[in-house]
Amino acid sequence: MDKIRVLLVDDEPSFTRMLKISLERRGFKVMVENNGAYALTIARDFLPDFIFLDVIMPDVDGGEVAAKIRSDPKFKDVPIVFLTAGVSKETTRIKGDVIGGQTYLAKPTTVDEVVACIEKKLGKKTGATS
Amino acid sequence: MTTKPQVEAPRSDLTAVETRSRLEAILDLSRDGILAISQDGIITGWNRSAERIYGYPAEAIIGKPLATLVPSDRLHELSTIYPAIARGTTIDEFETVRLRSDGTPIDVSLSIAPIRDERRRVTGSLVIMRENSAIRQALKEAEQTSAKLSDRERMLRRALLALRQSHEEAKTAQLQLVQAAKLESIGRLAAGVAHEVKNPLAVILFAIDYLADTITAPDENTATALTDAREAVMRADSVIRGLLDFSTATELSPTMQDVNEVLGRALQLVRHALTKAHVLAIEEFEDDLPDAMLDRNKIEQVFVNLMINAIDAMPSGGTLVIRTRRDRLTDVGQDVGVRKTDQLRVGQSVIVVEVEDTGTGIDEACRARLFDPFFTTKPPGKGTGLGLAVCKSIVALHGGTIRIANKEGGGGTRAAVIFRSIRSKEVKGDG
Repeated sequence: MDKIRVLLVDDEPSFTRMLKISLERRGFKVMVENNGAYALTIARDFLPDFIFLDVIMPDVDGGEVAAKIRSDPKFKDVPIVFLTAGVSKETTRIKGDVIGGQTYLAKPTTVDEVVACIEKKLGKKTGATS
Repeated sequence: MTTKPQVEAPRSDLTAVETRSRLEAILDLSRDGILAISQDGIITGWNRSAERIYGYPAEAIIGKPLATLVPSDRLHELSTIYPAIARGTTIDEFETVRLRSDGTPIDVSLSIAPIRDERRRVTGSLVIMRENSAIRQALKEAEQTSAKLSDRERMLRRALLALRQSHEEAKTAQLQLVQAAKLESIGRLAAGVAHEVKNPLAVILFAIDYLADTITAPDENTATALTDAREAVMRADSVIRGLLDFSTATELSPTMQDVNEVLGRALQLVRHALTKAHVLAIEEFEDDLPDAMLDRNKIEQVFVNLMINAIDAMPSGGTLVIRTRRDRLTDVGQDVGVRKTDQLRVGQSVIVVEVEDTGTGIDEACRARLFDPFFTTKPPGKGTGLGLAVCKSIVALHGGTIRIANKEGGGGTRAAVIFRSIRSKEVKGDG
């Protein structure tokens, strides 16, 4: 079975590095991009099954990156989940994991939660949950 | 040697002219009106003061009956006075009313003594008349002055009360301003810190997960290190998320809410904590409570927070009483004023939500700092010290207030959340 391809777009190299090795250890194929402006180019090359996007990045925010990726028909149905550091306990409890129609994961999160999120969105078990 | 007052010795050698002259001088100088009346009631003598008081010159009144000076409703007095004088009786300070020449009444005090001839027979009477109007006027003025003084005193008391109220309000306003400034700066700080701290925390958490995944058979110390590190990250994250609640507590989505319903839902959310802490919950909800304009989720957060605090205050179990009631604000106090601009005002109908525990209560020093951000009495890792600060901020945004005090007679704490009630249920749905 082909590995699930996950694209990580986040300006924090240590974060993407740790998540990359953690997901690879769980059997995913992971590509990292630390500059949101290049996300679409990398996506076209990598053809991810799943995309994680940081919300706040220096040059471009996650919303704009998502809009660009969605504008390409190839990625119309690829799940995009935002990773954000700006969420309070209250928001998490009340709004679950969806804000403004977009799914997000609040940092810090565990690898198990990341994997569960991917499985939920793709509607299949990956066997990667520990 | 003792000096005695000089009193003129009676002289037996006074001539009739001298005597008359002396009497005339006395009559003229007297400030009282003096009248001589014949036995048949005709005025025969009239001094200057009588002229001044009654307005009649002597020539106009002498020869007229005394009744000329008596109001018609007082004429009956004469039938008592005349016989008494005829009997030689002296009348002292008889208070009555007489008439001036212009017909206006005049309050007088009459002293009447008989006039006798050389054989001691009564031939008439002498009337000394003192005007009472001045005294009465003085009394009236004194009464008026006294009334004015009472008014002034009442005004001063009201002013003093208003001053005390303003002082209380100023104190409250100052506290609110200080609190608002604190919260605002913490809010700004929180948003910035959250972003900068959460990323490193995420990296650490992934690293812990990674290590836990890769170390196949960790020894006891390694396992403890990983567990403690993970818990430390979660604790730090909890503080940061609590701080973020500050920065988001400024946005409300209020709708008409049944407070009992919101409270009931909050109670459901703490059921697990209640069971775990062996705490019995008692609901004392007032029926038909008026609705209030509330952000349901945020107020639910407040209720949950207060209940969790109450449960934490009873580590060996106890009773949690959740009560709702309607009330009317009667006194100026914390967050309650009298001005139109005050969110909570004296006389307003309010809904009070009380959360009571049977713990040990809180000491005065803690009570003063309860709403300070980062102030906590809970053990490390159990509380961030932000819960009540967030609650206060949320309730204040709703125009309400929170009061926390020990229960009367001790034995626990009572937290009271006060909201303005909006309307009765009967008109709910009118738009």
